[in-house]
Amino acid sequence: MSNDIQLEAIIEDYLNGKLNAEEVKAFEQLRNNDPVVDHKVVSHKVFLDSMKQYANVLSLKQQMNAAHEQIDVDAISAKVKPHSSIIVRMFRNNKAAIAVAASFLFLAMVMLYSINNQTKQDGSFKALNREVSQIKRSQNTLIRNINSNAQNNSVAPAKFGGSGFAISSNGYILTNYHVIKGADSLYIQNSKGVSFKVKAAYTDPVNDIAILKISDNSFENLGTLPYNIKRTMAGIGESVYTLGYPKDDVVLGDGYVSSKTGINGDTLAYQLAIPVNPGNSGGPLLDNNGNIVGVINGKEMKTDGAAFAVKSKYIMEALNAIPTDSLTKRIAYGKRSPLQGLKRNKQIEKIQDFVFMVKVYN
Amino acid sequence: MSIKLSSSVPTDREVVLGILNNSEEALNKLYTGYFPMILQFILNNNGNEDDAKDVYQEAIIVLYNKIKSGNFELSSKLKTYLYSVSRRIWLKKLAQHSKKTSNIADFEDVLIVDEDIEQHEQKDMQFDKMQDALESLGEPCKTIIEDFYIHSLSMQDICEKFGYTNSDNAKTQKYKCLQRLKKLFFQG
Repeated sequence: MSNDIQLEAIIEDYLNGKLNAEEVKAFEQLRNNDPVVDHKVVSHKVFLDSMKQYANVLSLKQQMNAAHEQIDVDAISAKVKPHSSIIVRMFRNNKAAIAVAASFLFLAMVMLYSINNQTKQDGSFKALNREVSQIKRSQNTLIRNINSNAQNNSVAPAKFGGSGFAISSNGYILTNYHVIKGADSLYIQNSKGVSFKVKAAYTDPVNDIAILKISDNSFENLGTLPYNIKRTMAGIGESVYTLGYPKDDVVLGDGYVSSKTGINGDTLAYQLAIPVNPGNSGGPLLDNNGNIVGVINGKEMKTDGAAFAVKSKYIMEALNAIPTDSLTKRIAYGKRSPLQGLKRNKQIEKIQDFVFMVKVYN
Repeated sequence: MSIKLSSSVPTDREVVLGILNNSEEALNKLYTGYFPMILQFILNNNGNEDDAKDVYQEAIIVLYNKIKSGNFELSSKLKTYLYSVSRRIWLKKLAQHSKKTSNIADFEDVLIVDEDIEQHEQKDMQFDKMQDALESLGEPCKTIIEDFYIHSLSMQDICEKFGYTNSDNAKTQKYKCLQRLKKLFFQG
């Protein structure tokens, strides 16, 4: 009995590493020789490990229980417990499914919406066909807004610009009324870049026509005008072209007469399919024979490729308002134009000296 | 919708180093830091506050043993690890009580921790066996064994505490108790 107690004590000291080197050696000898002792060592080691683990877990549990005491479990559980409302609980539990359903619904709505939109476009397209003459359209007058960025120039740059063309060799220039409306001072500039001061000699707001007179001393004479004014109306489909100053150089615009009436059935004007831009206002509209058929004065904002020109008839009316003897070698009506039969480029070569940029300061 | 953890959460490194150094503070921080997350999970999955406490403590023990065993690598966040372990333990408990385990409401990412749980279950079985053995040992053996092996009292202290006339008597008593405990432990 006492031997067993001693053996047990030695085994325990051996496993706990409390024996000195000699004792370890002696004990290991004993262990090797005696399987019973060896078995006792092994089983005691298992037991001690289990006991150690037991002790560790026990103390860990005590610590955790102490920590648990510090937690206000009720407060937290009130925050995180399942919501009493079944809807909220369902939402919390099925967030993923709800997300999928919601995105599916969203997609379906987007698709429905786009399909709807397509049919809507069809509808409005038809309506456009029917109501085309009734639609109130805004007319955009083609006055060019010249950017005043060259501030170092000694001459202040013009605020607005348009185009104009000579109607007599002694310096009467025709342009649109809206170009010069509200102007303090007016200048024209020819294709060579020479400027002349001009004054308004006649204005006709109804027909959007203005006649300017060159008042500059340096101006001499323009020579014989190469074009005439056409007496008769231009027909639909007649090809026409215009010269103007949408930029600082003269620009050709080519197209055809697309309607005998202007905006909202305005009988004063033609509708043209011709590319025009701000600055083209007041430019001459010529047919292939070099006859002036109108004056460009605007374009349609909402319709593609629709520009408008005042008919030549009203140019003649305006001319009649100027005393006949003040116009020398004035523009002729209805005669055979000197440009007839010339190619387009030759015509332009001759015309461009009589087309001016109108610069407006206000 | 994961609820913001109200108490300050220690960094993972702090926890691992703290547990390796047997720091009580680190354990406290760890415990209070992630309890709300587990409470939320258990409450939303057919459990109550006590279930949450049991499951959470088991999960911490798993983590503790894993860190103490020395082969712990921080391959994921401790938060994720604790959540995954708790989740696995709770699902097993639900299955044992044949409650429904489908449609689990999850609040965090989940790792696969089956291996760790299996190891833990073996250790847990040994713990239970030891506990049962100690319980059926009876007094004064239970106290003597606990004092010697758990509270690390010396034989001299035990001798005085229990009023043995000499330490040999105490040693004999302890030896008898130990033999009975071993028998209970290995056979029970």
